[in-house]
Amino acid sequence: MIQLFHVYKTFGSKNSALIDVSLRVRKGEFVFITGPSGAGKTTLLKIVFCAEKATSGQALVDGRNLNRVSERELALLRRRIGVVFQDFKLLPRRTVFENVALALEIAGLPLSVIRKKVHQTLRYLGLANKEGYYPPQLSGGEQQRVALGRAIINNPLILLADEPTGNLDPDLTMEIMALLREIHVKGTTVVVATHSQELLRDTRRRIVSLSKGRIV
Amino acid sequence: MKITFLRYSIRQAMANIFNNRLVHLIGVGTMAIAFLIFDAFILIFVNLSYWTEERGRLLSMSVYFKEEPDRIVLEDVQRELLGFPGVTIKRFISKDDAMEDLRRQLGDEAGLLDGLKENPLPASLEITFSRDKGGDSIPHQLKRRLERINIVDEVQYSQEWIERFQAIMEALKIVGIVVGGLLFLAALFIITNTIKLTIYSRKDEIEILKLVGATNRFVKIPFLIEGSIQGFLGGSLALILLFVAYMIVVARVDLRIGFASLDFVFLPPECIVLLLVMSSIAGLIGSTISLGRFFRI
Repeated sequence: MIQLFHVYKTFGSKNSALIDVSLRVRKGEFVFITGPSGAGKTTLLKIVFCAEKATSGQALVDGRNLNRVSERELALLRRRIGVVFQDFKLLPRRTVFENVALALEIAGLPLSVIRKKVHQTLRYLGLANKEGYYPPQLSGGEQQRVALGRAIINNPLILLADEPTGNLDPDLTMEIMALLREIHVKGTTVVVATHSQELLRDTRRRIVSLSKGRIV
Repeated sequence: MKITFLRYSIRQAMANIFNNRLVHLIGVGTMAIAFLIFDAFILIFVNLSYWTEERGRLLSMSVYFKEEPDRIVLEDVQRELLGFPGVTIKRFISKDDAMEDLRRQLGDEAGLLDGLKENPLPASLEITFSRDKGGDSIPHQLKRRLERINIVDEVQYSQEWIERFQAIMEALKIVGIVVGGLLFLAALFIITNTIKLTIYSRKDEIEILKLVGATNRFVKIPFLIEGSIQGFLGGSLALILLFVAYMIVVARVDLRIGFASLDFVFLPPECIVLLLVMSSIAGLIGSTISLGRFFRI
């Protein structure tokens, strides 16, 4: 599902964020990317969802070479990748409903289908009574669930989560991790980047460790 | 473009304007000032053209007679003249009237005329000729026709004035296009930067939309609609301000050049519509330029 071959990413002339990273994530896998701050976890995820381009090397997602996709192909590919960020990245002036509906509006679905799917997703995430709220009116855990809703509503092939519990207390962390596991069980490939050792304790999932831009 | 997408874009543009009303208000105000300068120039240009046109429209013509015509001959000539469109007979000047006019003009020197044995001045008819009812070729035709009448000695009209008037109109047009074009470019520059500020305040939103799979078109079109609406509102506000300023000027200032009182007219309706369309297009162009830099990823 995700293949990286000798990927390098350099910012400026000296700052190497990724050095010779090769990685393969199979369809339906649940993988943790871990390492201290500055290890290159976020850069790696950004390359997978094309927010950054590799300086050299090849990155393939669902069989597509990310160095060669057109603007339109990239947009279509991103619709099949759900992304969750530590700072949620919700649109503060749109309601919970509108934030979750965004991915479906972009896909051009009719309003009746959008309404139905958004209601289902919000019910699943326990946010049915919050659909008219704006993100700043919600707690951190609720905002992360909204972000998760936006990421999964399109039934993505891949779900990327960058420090999804970084801003949450332990109870909410468990809640979000439980949701990620449920999403994985339904068949989605999940990649979670985290520096939290708590999350990795007792896990049987594959763990990829990064240090100073290299896989160790 | 799908109807649902267009509906989404318009709805989104309206919601964005409402949600960012302060930024938009500042933007519309800034645009209004930029458009006001441009519109004021157009207003002055329209009036200059109107005044020049007005002065050039009425052409004076004098028909000189070989001898004093009797009433019947005069009526015949007058009938002939009135057969031409746009001709108005101002007055008949007999030989005595002409002499009287000359005496008045000479003032203290009028005594010089006392030595004349007979009045050498010809009788004449003063006529005015309205150009917009005829066309530029009619003065020539009229002159030729009148000179064929036996009693008519000479017909004079100011060809020079027509030529000068045409040159002024041509120069005005060139000045209008150059200055108007430069002012429009200046307005466009201000608008582009104003819209850039509006868009910059929402760069996070653009980033999020792109990351969830929006195509450039999907992100851009609501912004383009917003830019057009902003341009239209800025253009409308500029016209309202210009109209208020116009009313104040008209009420307080008596425009006179020499003895002729000049009408200071407001912009004609077709010009207002054109300026509003131009304002919307300026908003659209401004948005397009401003959006360019946000679509590199």
